[in-house]
Amino acid sequence: MNVSRRKVLGIGGALAAGAGLAGLTACSGTGSAGAGSGSAGDGRKGDISVWSWAGPAAELRALVPDFNKRYPDIKINVQDIGNPAIWNKITTAMAAGGAGLADVLHIGVDYLPGYVEKFPDGLADLGKLGATDYKDSFAQGLWQTVAPKGDRVSALPWEANSAGFYYRADIFEESGVDAAALETWDDTLEAGKKIKQKTGKYLLGIDKPASQADAANFFQMLLQLQGAFYFNLDGDITLASPAAVKAMTIIKELNDAGLVSDLAGGWNALISSIKKGTAAVLPWPTWFGGIIEETVPGEAGKWGVRLPPAVSRGGTQATTVNSTHLAIAGSSKQQAAAWKFVEFVLTRPESQVRIYKGKGIAPALMTAYDDLVFHTPSEFFRGQKKGEVFLEALKAPSPAFNYSPDYARALKVVADAQTKVLLKGADPASALQKAAEQLAEQTGRKVL
Amino acid sequence: MPAVLLFAAFKLYPIGWSFVLSLHRRVGGVDTFVGADNYRRLLHDPLFWTALENTCVILVIQVPLMLALATGLALAFNSATLRARSVFRLGFFLPMVTGLVAYGVIFSVLLNEKSGLVNWLLGLVGIGEVPWLTDPLWAKISLGLVLTWHYTGYNAVILLARLQTIPSELYDAAAVDGAGAWGTFRHVTLPGLRPAILLTTVLSTIGTLQIFDEPYILTQGGPDNATLTIGVYLYQNAFMYFDFGYASAIAYALAVVIGVLGLIQFRVLGDRP
Repeated sequence: MNVSRRKVLGIGGALAAGAGLAGLTACSGTGSAGAGSGSAGDGRKGDISVWSWAGPAAELRALVPDFNKRYPDIKINVQDIGNPAIWNKITTAMAAGGAGLADVLHIGVDYLPGYVEKFPDGLADLGKLGATDYKDSFAQGLWQTVAPKGDRVSALPWEANSAGFYYRADIFEESGVDAAALETWDDTLEAGKKIKQKTGKYLLGIDKPASQADAANFFQMLLQLQGAFYFNLDGDITLASPAAVKAMTIIKELNDAGLVSDLAGGWNALISSIKKGTAAVLPWPTWFGGIIEETVPGEAGKWGVRLPPAVSRGGTQATTVNSTHLAIAGSSKQQAAAWKFVEFVLTRPESQVRIYKGKGIAPALMTAYDDLVFHTPSEFFRGQKKGEVFLEALKAPSPAFNYSPDYARALKVVADAQTKVLLKGADPASALQKAAEQLAEQTGRKVL
Repeated sequence: MPAVLLFAAFKLYPIGWSFVLSLHRRVGGVDTFVGADNYRRLLHDPLFWTALENTCVILVIQVPLMLALATGLALAFNSATLRARSVFRLGFFLPMVTGLVAYGVIFSVLLNEKSGLVNWLLGLVGIGEVPWLTDPLWAKISLGLVLTWHYTGYNAVILLARLQTIPSELYDAAAVDGAGAWGTFRHVTLPGLRPAILLTTVLSTIGTLQIFDEPYILTQGGPDNATLTIGVYLYQNAFMYFDFGYASAIAYALAVVIGVLGLIQFRVLGDRP
């Protein structure tokens, strides 16, 4: 038989199959070339599409009728793309020069710098549309996030989440621990031991095998409470800093004491652990309060809320852990009309109050906090004024954190380091040192 | 002609362009030519080697086991004593028809450590919770099991088709010569199956090297990169880190690995002139 020919064909097939995968990445093209091709268009009419996800998308949709009373000729079409699906969708559309991209995009702080760096014309400069008028309207540090160099405004802040500490007040009482008196995480460790002993409950839960990208949320919060982050403002890697080692050491101590339940499986595991009442504390930011109320409405009056204990005695308990924003696509041909909607949603206190009432999404817009809803006692949280708890945090000075375009990579090496510490008993300092070196190798950044 | 055009537009162009991309790095939004830098980086990237190693572990352990199982199944399907043959054939082939994502999601639910059906059943017979997807070793085993479930029937059907073309005279002759069951299998069945074994081996090798959907959905490559495959790593670099140049370099490295392995397999298993 014609052996050599068959061989050649077979190898050819194998190569083609391999290269087919190569094709997967080929759609990036020259990217930004066409993305800046948008224009302001007519600000009075248009057909605007908006990409968001789940709860926020529903709230945006609910605002449309009011918006149309003022701008009857601007049609708004809100699409719930889902999170994290939305990030892929934005990436591919931007890489294709903006083809198929919506006019208004809801973007988290974790992705915003990446888009801005990789696709410089992917997002419109809102400064030209009038955004600079609102420079001082938002919570501390956020203007620096949307306009890091001060010249170009890539987005406008929507929600500002502060680090929080939701707890089962009934479990704390049963164990004889005063939650409000916890000053530091060392105090909390001792409290956790008592709770475990008296009630058998865990102190808190962590997604130990890192089933989700945000598995190291708690670590990041402990870092931010110390005013530190994965990168410093110059963009150098600070993952192996004393603050980071301290944060990971706290996690290791909690875990070694048997106080950390495993939330393997990510979000679903977290929700089912709330239903089961596995842990006494949920060290989650502002927005999570709404999730708890939705998940266990029958436990009204059993929950409490406060800012997290400090890392070291006398240290700060307030830090803004993340924010989300609305941006306008650089490729949009109706940027002026799209801006009308963004402005309506983000700079008008009534809009933000309504969203807060709906889904508990905390506004970055400071004037919204004048509304009574932030100052009324919450039945769910034992008559505490949840809104005031977090407002206090937003007013506290918060340093700017540099998420950098490499945040996604940093998250990955951090989550892996945490898994090594929690599941394999690795030493925090050396696990973080390795993570920092790996990140440096991938990004060409310096390790400090 | 339309086929050629489609091939050129959706295969040839991406294949060529991703090579160009693999020589670039995006700095400040501009693709900058960096020559072989991405490939050099690949050689020093521990995660790339982890991904390659994980993929090879699947290749060396799961593929041979699966093909042996498939051969056994094919023999059973072909056996004259098997009743309701088509039911079995259909039953084993059916997993192949299910969508990759759909079955990945179903398995991730079944294998859930705390609330999955598998651990519940094991609990009934007194076996404690197995960390199917959350322990580095078990996650690898789960991935292997899931792949085996999906692809064994498919390979068995290919082998079966070949099995049925082996002339029965050969078996008669073997019987006359006094060959036992094992002798007949070794000297008649296996040589007869050789082309089909080669085909399934090469297909499985390519499939395994490109494996993406299952680890992506089951474990996201975790825990601690225990199930990170080249496909998942490529995806992360392209679509999570926006590093298209590096991702393209990974794809080309993968194409070379597949080419080399394919060549070796044809040398070892192919028809000898």
